[in-house]
Amino acid sequence: MTVLAPTDLDGALAALAERPDATVLAGGTDLMVELNFGHRRAGVFVSLRRVRELREWSRVGDELTIGATVTYTGLERGQIATLVPALAQAARTVGSPQIRNAGTIGGNLATASPAGDTLPVLSALDAVVVCASASAGRREVSVHDFLVGPKRSALAAGELVVAVRVPVLSGPQEFLKVGTRNAMVISIAGVALVTDAARGGLRCALGSVGPTALRAADAESFAATAVEWPSRRATPEAAIEFGRLTAGAARPIDDHRATAHYRRHAVEVCARRAFERVTLR
Amino acid sequence: MSILGTRVLRAAEDPRFLTGGDRYIDNLPLDGAVHAEYVMSPVAHARITGIDTSAARAMPGVLAVITAADIDLAPQTTSNPRVPESMGRPLLATDTVRFVGELVAAVVAETQSQAIDAAEAVVVDYDPLPAVADALVALTESAPRLFPETESNLALFAGFRTSDDDDFFAGCDVVVRERLVNQRMAVTPMEARAGAMWWDDAGRLHAWSCTQGAHGTRDGLAKAFGLEPEQVRVVAPDVGGGFGGKMGTYPEEVLLGELARRVGRPVRWAESRTQCQLGLYHGRAQVHDVELGGTRDGRLIAYRIRIVQDAGAYPSGGVFLPYLTRLMASGVYELERVDAQIEVVVTNTTPVDAYRGAGRPEATAAIERMVERFAVEAGVDPAEVRRKSFISPDAFPYTTKTKATYDSGNYIGALELALSGAGYVQLRDEQARRRAAGDDGRLLGIGVSSYVEITNGDGSGEFGSIELTDDGGAIVRTGTSPHGQGHHTAFAMIASEITGIPFSRIEVRHGDTDDVPRGGGTGGSRSLQAGGTAVYRASEDFVRAALDLAADMLEANPDDVVLDTAAGAFHVQGTPAIARTWTDLAAAHGGLRAERDTERSAGTFPFGTHVAVVEVDTETGSVRVLRHIACDDAGTIINPVLFDGQVHGGVAAGISQALFEHFVYDVDGNPLTTNLADYCVPAASELPSFERIAMETPTPLNPLGAKGIGEAGTIGATPAVQNAVIDALAHLGVRHIDMPCTPERVWQAVQAARR
Ligand SMILES: Cc1cc2nc3c(=O)[nH]c(=O)nc-3n(C[C@H](O)[C@H](O)[C@H](O)COP(=O)(O)OP(=O)(O)OC[C@H]3O[C@@H](n4cnc5c(N)ncnc54)[C@H](O)[C@@H]3O)c2cc1C
Repeated sequence: MTVLAPTDLDGALAALAERPDATVLAGGTDLMVELNFGHRRAGVFVSLRRVRELREWSRVGDELTIGATVTYTGLERGQIATLVPALAQAARTVGSPQIRNAGTIGGNLATASPAGDTLPVLSALDAVVVCASASAGRREVSVHDFLVGPKRSALAAGELVVAVRVPVLSGPQEFLKVGTRNAMVISIAGVALVTDAARGGLRCALGSVGPTALRAADAESFAATAVEWPSRRATPEAAIEFGRLTAGAARPIDDHRATAHYRRHAVEVCARRAFERVTLR
Repeated sequence: MSILGTRVLRAAEDPRFLTGGDRYIDNLPLDGAVHAEYVMSPVAHARITGIDTSAARAMPGVLAVITAADIDLAPQTTSNPRVPESMGRPLLATDTVRFVGELVAAVVAETQSQAIDAAEAVVVDYDPLPAVADALVALTESAPRLFPETESNLALFAGFRTSDDDDFFAGCDVVVRERLVNQRMAVTPMEARAGAMWWDDAGRLHAWSCTQGAHGTRDGLAKAFGLEPEQVRVVAPDVGGGFGGKMGTYPEEVLLGELARRVGRPVRWAESRTQCQLGLYHGRAQVHDVELGGTRDGRLIAYRIRIVQDAGAYPSGGVFLPYLTRLMASGVYELERVDAQIEVVVTNTTPVDAYRGAGRPEATAAIERMVERFAVEAGVDPAEVRRKSFISPDAFPYTTKTKATYDSGNYIGALELALSGAGYVQLRDEQARRRAAGDDGRLLGIGVSSYVEITNGDGSGEFGSIELTDDGGAIVRTGTSPHGQGHHTAFAMIASEITGIPFSRIEVRHGDTDDVPRGGGTGGSRSLQAGGTAVYRASEDFVRAALDLAADMLEANPDDVVLDTAAGAFHVQGTPAIARTWTDLAAAHGGLRAERDTERSAGTFPFGTHVAVVEVDTETGSVRVLRHIACDDAGTIINPVLFDGQVHGGVAAGISQALFEHFVYDVDGNPLTTNLADYCVPAASELPSFERIAMETPTPLNPLGAKGIGEAGTIGATPAVQNAVIDALAHLGVRHIDMPCTPERVWQAVQAARR
């Protein structure tokens, strides 16, 4: 097993170009599980740990650029948490402190699991994924195009997730997740809800109830009119309807963790509760 | 002042355990050791039509690959003669595999990675057979048969009736009936199984085993290899938890000896978590058809239980579990009629054996669930039903209809303490208030469970010894085999109490069959009452012998010499100034030693009441345990810190069975919960801070007055929590929810009741 440890982005891209068989290693919290289960063979790894550019985040105007190897701990603390609260809430639900210290947002994106907890938040935020490779250079992909299917992303061979760009919105945000226990759990259903007071609307995306994060378009258009903007007033009936419409967007499956029926129901409850929290009576 | 009953910290064991330990088998250096890996069946039921090991043999570092055809070792059978011989488990599958995880071949290689790679290269051709993973289905006429030689999948049937009355429920105004599933649990010790074995030039087998009883493993290995017990040495170094699952001698261990013999080198083995989930025998796995009858005012009269025990693919310890369930079936109640029937059935699943409580939690879960079910039907408060039906405190010793003789107890006392500690009346008021407010989002549930269980149930005696060291300290040896419980601390306290040798100067040794001659190991909550008593008695003998020697040194009549345990010194009565200390004694009479094998004696019967308070979100079905109040009476408490530890771990495990853990198979016998993401053990964040209420009713059966506390927490907690969840929803019409009460099940029960 060979581990290459480049110290800057160009070095990392060059290493990947040189070794097309190489696998990218960030926090290792998904990758090591795959290795342990024999789903993936040990070979050449390009570790991103020392690549400084990927660990940083910055704010320009109303846009935040979060480096690919920013960890969950990084997301749940400090300024990012106040600028994009739903992302911090999602980060707090991930794994255990050890996992949150190691796991990265770029890894969550690249794994593209239907149960990836930051993905519904990024989807609700209409995030943009910044990718780069030595041969094709930089490109920006909407998160909706980036997430192709279960464990499938738009990343090309030799390409890295460099960063993800999200807007800084005004208005409350929520992330709710249902699992079989509080910590260390693969979610059964997740709901991300962000309000955009300036534009008078809210955006809602779902996790673990489809091949990838799903947007609840009908619920969103309903909220555009059912909620009074910018005061964010809404009736209890509107909350119920919002929950119902959101559940309609879910495309869940049955498995041993939960039935599709329960997943859809959980989405409905979470969506309604999230709606109640971000609106005023 | 007596050291017994005080909060002595676990100084001898904890620092090492808390920092990762240094004596777990997989960490121990072993010169020249090579590594074993087992090929496990990935299918639940199939005929093996061929095994090709040639590719594996050609892999780098591989020293041996063996299959059933290469070995001549007897299958493992249960000790119960009523189970058909043909249901024995071959160490390596011969022509048929019967569960996912069954061993098919074994590989030895220079390194563990090489062994794992080579195991993957063993090619086995499986011709699939229909599988059955559900015990009730396995009992049906048309079910796939595991053993064609036998008439059915029934391994054993045992009826039992205390009354031939035609009308079993005569005099009962209310009779409730329910089918209860006591779900299959994976034992999930922190340390998965590991071992190492080698043969010396004299033909003696040396084994490191991660076992709950070194001597039991020694005997198991000796039997397997046709050796005398002395020709085997077993050492159990630090063992990271067992919970009953590490009591037996597994095929993986016997094969390790076989592999070591073949390659002529020490062979080491350490399994993965997934292998542990499949290979370490499971627990519980019973289905109960239960009927309970009593009068309208709440007095219980007649109880009938049909126990279907899923034994897994090969009947093992699972066979004795329902006998214990039957023995304890009627619990804390004085009943007129009891009927308990046992059916043990084989299925295409991992074999079932002891798990924390082993048959007794199942008994308690069944009757305590039914008591609350009965109470709702009769319209009487469940606490009142218990008050009316308990065995009275002056009835002990009390022999039940199922022939258990309870040594001592005060069930009403424990109930009242637990209820007042919980604030039961106020809780019921709060519950009524929330219901009246229509606050369906956060319903309050209050669950009670009053239990009695049996510890050191086989009544076995135990070995204990104490030896004076040159510097006046002592070495205590015990035949029990702790793996986290704190015997070092407890047994050193007992020896210190009797001898006056300071606690800190007493070393406790165990788990090496060359160092400790005999022992029954640690299981069935037996260690303190059996092993502690042996240490107590040996210490008394030791002091008696020392008194004679001290008298010699003091030139006094032994009858006049006394031991001042506070000073750790002997003197003539009345003249403490002229004394001989243990250190003086050690200098004059090195090697002073006493040992004791305690006699067999009847098991003891710890009891108590647990109250669980939960909040149920009817919209999501999620349950939060707000409080857990436990009044456990296990006789005299030797060390409250250790007692608390056992109760806390036990309650956590009990809550976990009620709400979280469930080992699941699909209909084809594929296991779905083979890792800890899918097998839901709880984290601290799922558990409340436990409230323990002290109660001590000493047993007359041993000088310590102590009963076992290792399993009581689990036994008491599980039904209390399950009852609490159902209680929260009772006004909606919910009458029963099987364990684990997952959010989905709770939500479905609410939906069904509303329909
Ligand atoms: C115990 C445990 C609990 C967990 N709990 C949760 C949870 O609650 N919620 C949740 O969403 N996830 C959870 N996970 C999964 C995991 O922690 C996350 O998906 C995490 O974000 C992965 O990031 P990483 O940095 O560890 O990725 P790695 O494991 O290092 O990599 C994952 C994959 O992404 C690729 N990759 C990583 N970074 C990049 C990059 N910058 N560019 C291109 N490819 C890249 C790797 O090649 C690999 O294929 C858990 C995992 C464990 C082990």
